[in-house]
Amino acid sequence: MTAVLLKAMRDLRRRRLQAAVIFVTTLLAVGTGTMALTLIAQTRDPYQLAFDAQKGAHLKVAFDGRIDPGTIAGTPALIGATSHGGPYRATDIQFQSAGHKYVVTAVGRDNPGGDVGQVRIAAGHWPSSTTEIALTRSFADLNHISIGDRLKVVSVPQEPVLTVVAEVVDIDELRADVGGVQHAWVLSPSIAPLTAKDASFLMDYRFASDPTSAQLQAHLDTLRASLPADSVTSSVNYIFVRAVFHVSTQILTGVLVAFSLFALAATAAIVANLVTGIVISSYREIGIMKAVGFTPLQVIGVFVLQILAPAAAACILGIPIGSILSQPLLASNSQALGLAYQPAFSPALDLVALVGALLIVAIAAVIPAVRAGRLKPAVVIANASAPRGNSGRWLRRLASRAGLPRPVVLGLGEAAARPGRSILTLLAIVLGVATVVVALGEARSFNKIYTYEGHIGQVDVVVTKSPALADVEAMQLINSQPETMRVVAQATTNINVSGIGDPVNTLGFRGNSGALGYLISPGHWFTGPGEVVANRGFVQDAHLNLGDTFTATVHGQALKLRIVGEVFDFSAGPGGHILMLDWSTLTAAVPGLTPSVYQVTLKPGSNLDGYVKRLASAQPDLLDVQANSTGNTAFLTVIAGVLFGIAAIVALIAIAGVFNTMLLSTRERVRDTATLKTLGMSPRQVIGMVATSAGSLALVGGLLAVPAGVALYRMLFDQLSSLGGNITPLAFFDVFAPWELIAIPLGGIIVAVVAAAIPGRWAARTNVVEVLHAE
Amino acid sequence: MSLKYGVLGLLKEQPLHGYEVKNRFEAMLGGTWDVNIGQIYTTLQRLERDGLVRPVGHRGDRGKLLYELSPEGQEALDEWLATPDSGPQQLHEEIYVKLLLATRIANGDLKGMLARQKRAYLQRLRDLNRLEEGARRDGRIDLARLVRGALLHTEADLKWMDELSSERFGTEGAKTE
Amino acid sequence: MDGRIVIRAFRDGGGENRMSELVRVTDVTKVYQGGITGALNGVSVSIEQGEFTAIMGPSGSGKSTLLNLVAGVDRPTSGTVVVGGTDLGKLGETGLARFRRDHIGFVFQFFYLLPNLTALENVLIPAQLKGNSPNGRARELMERLGIADVGNRYPARLSGGQQQRVAIARALINQPTLLLADEPTGALDTRSGEQVMELLGELHRDGQTVLLVTHDAKLATRHAARVISVMDGTIVDDARLESPERAAAEVIRVRGEEAAR
Repeated sequence: MTAVLLKAMRDLRRRRLQAAVIFVTTLLAVGTGTMALTLIAQTRDPYQLAFDAQKGAHLKVAFDGRIDPGTIAGTPALIGATSHGGPYRATDIQFQSAGHKYVVTAVGRDNPGGDVGQVRIAAGHWPSSTTEIALTRSFADLNHISIGDRLKVVSVPQEPVLTVVAEVVDIDELRADVGGVQHAWVLSPSIAPLTAKDASFLMDYRFASDPTSAQLQAHLDTLRASLPADSVTSSVNYIFVRAVFHVSTQILTGVLVAFSLFALAATAAIVANLVTGIVISSYREIGIMKAVGFTPLQVIGVFVLQILAPAAAACILGIPIGSILSQPLLASNSQALGLAYQPAFSPALDLVALVGALLIVAIAAVIPAVRAGRLKPAVVIANASAPRGNSGRWLRRLASRAGLPRPVVLGLGEAAARPGRSILTLLAIVLGVATVVVALGEARSFNKIYTYEGHIGQVDVVVTKSPALADVEAMQLINSQPETMRVVAQATTNINVSGIGDPVNTLGFRGNSGALGYLISPGHWFTGPGEVVANRGFVQDAHLNLGDTFTATVHGQALKLRIVGEVFDFSAGPGGHILMLDWSTLTAAVPGLTPSVYQVTLKPGSNLDGYVKRLASAQPDLLDVQANSTGNTAFLTVIAGVLFGIAAIVALIAIAGVFNTMLLSTRERVRDTATLKTLGMSPRQVIGMVATSAGSLALVGGLLAVPAGVALYRMLFDQLSSLGGNITPLAFFDVFAPWELIAIPLGGIIVAVVAAAIPGRWAARTNVVEVLHAE
Repeated sequence: MSLKYGVLGLLKEQPLHGYEVKNRFEAMLGGTWDVNIGQIYTTLQRLERDGLVRPVGHRGDRGKLLYELSPEGQEALDEWLATPDSGPQQLHEEIYVKLLLATRIANGDLKGMLARQKRAYLQRLRDLNRLEEGARRDGRIDLARLVRGALLHTEADLKWMDELSSERFGTEGAKTE
Repeated sequence: MDGRIVIRAFRDGGGENRMSELVRVTDVTKVYQGGITGALNGVSVSIEQGEFTAIMGPSGSGKSTLLNLVAGVDRPTSGTVVVGGTDLGKLGETGLARFRRDHIGFVFQFFYLLPNLTALENVLIPAQLKGNSPNGRARELMERLGIADVGNRYPARLSGGQQQRVAIARALINQPTLLLADEPTGALDTRSGEQVMELLGELHRDGQTVLLVTHDAKLATRHAARVISVMDGTIVDDARLESPERAAAEVIRVRGEEAAR
C-alpha cells in the first residue's frame, strides 16, 4: 500500500496540470452540488418552523364590516377551531410617503401576541398611540420605508399622519414583493378615523391539526351557510401562503439540482477522459510497475488515488464554499419568515456531498484505470507506447476530399481519433452549452411573465385612484391630457362561485381591455356582457369547460356567466383563482362600482416623464401616477443571478473539459507535431490544427446542445409554470431569436478554440530536437 | 591462409596443371594475392611427395602435367576446412609497431599520427566500398564477401584510432621494459 | 531523362554550378541545458551544391545537432548558419517552418511517419502544407522508390524498409535543396539499410545534395566523398576522399604463411 501511495503521490506531483483540472472542475461541481443539497434539505423546514413558532393561522377570513362582531366571535365554535384571533376591525387605507402612494389594509390590534397569528416584531415596538403604525418588514424593505417615517393617510379627508414604529413579520400573509395588499397594524381605536367607506373584520382560526384544503373548504362553506349572504368577503389559508412561499425556492432548487447534476456529469466525463489519457501516456510505466510486482488492483489504485487526491482537496474546499454560498438564500428565507437566521451547516449533509462527489469521481476514474490494471506487462514493455487512436480516418478523408487545408484536415481527424474521448468531451460541451441555453431561457421567460403580468409594452402609465376621487373626475383628467391614447379602467371585486370555496378575485375592465395583451388559450377574450375568461385553476376547480355557463353571486346578485377563454395568469398564485370580465357584466349587479386603477396607453413618441409629473400634480393627494416599467424584480434578479452563476460554472467546467482533451491529445501527439514541424508546418498551422480539433468538437456539441437545451428549458419552465396552475402558452417559449440559437453554439466554438489556444501554443512551441531525439 | 590448401581445394574441383592452378588461384582472390609459377610447382611437388596429389597420365605436350587429389589429399583438405583458425592473431600492418615506437619516441605527435592514419583508413573504407559495389555489380559474391570482411576489419581499425585519440597520452605507455 | 526524376538543387544548375556553396556554418556554438547531449563548440563548415557529405561521430558528439542547425529545427547559441544564401538566424518561427518546407528534406532514424495517415498521404503532407497536392509527382516518386503498391496502407502495415522509403519520398516531394538524413539505416535490418543507402546514392548521382549523419564509418564512406568527423562538439577531421577506380589488389592484400616467410 505504501508503494501505491508513494507512486500515486509522485505521479501527482508530475501531473500538476491534470491535478489542477480535476481540482477546479470538482470544486465547481461540488460547490453547486452542496448548494443544491443544502437548499433541498432546508427549504421544507423553515416555513413550518416559523408557522409553529408564531402560531400561524390555518385560515384567515375577512367578514363584511356591517356584521355584528358578536356573531363573528361565535364562529370558531361553529367550525371547530381550537383557538382564534380577532375579530380585528380592518380597513384599506391609502397613504403617501416620499411622493408615492400605497394601499395597505390597516388592522386594529392592540398587541402582537395571542393564541393565533402572532406578529413578530423584527424592529421597533408595537403601536402605543393612535398616531402610530406597524408595517410588515417586506413591505417596508420593498418601498424603502423605515421606522420613524411619517405617513400621510390620503384616503380620508382629515389626512391624519401616522408614524412608523415597528417592522414586523406576519407568517400568515404573502411577502410584499410576491403580491397582494399588505397588512399594517394600528391600535384598534385608530380604525374608525381611518375608515373612508368600508370596514371589515378579520378572524384568524387555528385547528388542532393541520387541516387539508378540503377541510378548509368545508369550514368556509359552513361559515357562509350560517351567516348572512356575502358576509365572508375573502379568505386566505396557510396552504396557499406556504405554496407561494415555496415557489421561489422550488424554482431555485429545481434549477440548482438539475444544473449541479450537469456539473457533476461534466466533471465525471472530464475525469474519465483524464484517466484514460494518463493510462495511455504511461503505458510503459504500467508495464514497469507490473514487472516490479504491482498487482492489477494496485495499478488501478495508483491511478484512482492520484485522481481522488485533488478531488478530495476540491471537496474539502468546495463543500464549505457551497454551504456558505447557500446561506444568503437561506438567510433571505429566514428573514422573510421572521426567523432569526442561523447559519445552517449540517455535517451529515456535507458528508453526503463528500462521499457522493468522491464516489462519482472514483467511478469515473476506475473504469479507464481497469484497462491499465489488465495490461500485460510483456506486451506493454515491448511496445512502449499505447495503441494510437486512429478512428478519425473517415472524417479526414471526407475533409480531404472537400479540399480543406491540411492542418484543418489533420485537426478534424484528431478530433475523432479517439471516439470515447470525443464522446466524453462532447458530453461536457453539450452540458455546458445546454445549461447556458436553459439559464438564458428560464431567465427570459420569468422576465416575460413579469412583463406580461404588468402589461409592459401595452400600458405606459398606471394611475391608482383614491376612493375619495370620483371616477368621472379621474377619467376627465386623464382624457384631457393630449398624449392619452387609450384608457382601460379596472376594478377588483370578489364574486362567489358555487363549488369554489373562496370568493374569486375578479377583475372588471372598462375600455378596450383586449389591448392589454392577455394571452388566451384555448378560447378568446370576452367580447361582451356575460362573457368571462378564467385561469386554468378556476376552470379545473369549478369543473367547467369552455363555453359552459355558470352562476355567480356578487353582492347578493346572481350573475349568469359563460366561460369563453382560459387566461394565462400567475397573479392568482399556486392553486389560486381569477376571473376577468367586462365592466358591463359587473355593473349589472354592482351599480356603484368604481374603478381603482386606470391603465393608460400614450400616443407614440409622448414624453412619459412629463406626462406622469403633470398628471400627478393635478391631483397630488388622490391620484398615484406611475410609469409602467418592470417594477421590483428582486426575485427575478435572484433567480437570474443563480441561473447564470451556475450556468457559468457548468460552462467553465465544459471549457476545462475542452482544455483537458486538447492537452491530452496534443501531449499524446507531440511526436507527430514535432515531425510535422520538421516537415515545415508553421506555428500558426499547428495552432490551427489544434483549434480545428477543439472547434469541430464544439461545433458538434453546440449543434446537439441547442435543441437539447431548448427542450430542457421548455420542460423545466413548463414544470415551473404549472406550479402557477397554468398551461404555458407557446408564446412564452418564444424567447430565443434564431440568431441567438446560432450565436450560442458559435460562441461555444469560439470559447473552445480559445480554450484550445493554450495547448495549441504549447504544441506550436514543441521543441523538435528534444522530442525527436528522446527516443 | 595457406597456398598448400588453396591448391588442394582447387584440385578438388577438377584435375589441373600448374599454370591453371596459378590462374584460378589469382582469379579466386580477385588479384589480392600474387603467386609466381615457381611457388605453384614447388607446392605441387611437395604435395605429390606427401601423397596428397598425384599426376594424371603423363607429361603432355609442352611438358604440362595434370594433377588430381588423392584420397589422402581429400582427407587432409577436409580436416583443414573443419579446423577453425585458432592460432595467434596476425597483425601484419606497420601501424602496430609505429604506435609502439611513437609512444616511446614522439610523445607529442601521436594525435597527428592517429589522425593521418584514420584518414587513410577512411580512404580505404571508401575504396573497399567501391570495390564491394563493383564485385556485386560483376556478380562476384565471393569476392564481395572478402571485401566485406576487409571493410569490417578496417572499421575496427578506425574505431581503434578513435579510441586512442580520445585517450590521454603520457609517457606511461613507454614503460615496458 | 530515361524515366527518372532528376532531382536538382537548382533546376538550372549545370556543371558550372556544381561547386557553388550551399551551406555555410560559421563559428557555431550550441549549449544545452539539462540532459541533452550533443553540444557544439565553435564549429565552422561549408558544404557545396551536389555534394554527398557524411557527418560522422559517436553518439553525443554533436553530429545530429549540426544537422538540426542546418535543417533549421534548432537554433545555435551563437554563430551563423546560412543555407542557400539565407541566414537562418534572421528567420522567425514561421520563416523557419517555410524554409524547412521549401528547402529541406528530412529523413529520420525512426521514420516518423504520421501513423494515422496512409503512405501516400504521408508523402503528400509537406506539399499540402504549402497548399498544393501533387499527386502525380508523389506517385512517380513512390514508383521510383519501389513503394507504389503500398500507397494506401497505413505505416503500421509497412515494413521498416518500406516506411523509410515512404519517409524519403516525403522528404523529396517538395524538391528540397538539401536532403538531410539522420542515421537513416539505424532502425533497419542490414538488407533494408543497404537499399536505403543505395537510394541515397542514386539520388546524389542525379544531382541531389545530401547530408548524412551516421556513426557508421562503412555507411559514411559508401557514397560520401567527404567525411566530417565530429568529436565532443568540434570537427576533428574533414576528409575529402578520392574515388578513383582501383583494382582489388591495390586495396587488399591477402597473404599466406609462405609469402610472409
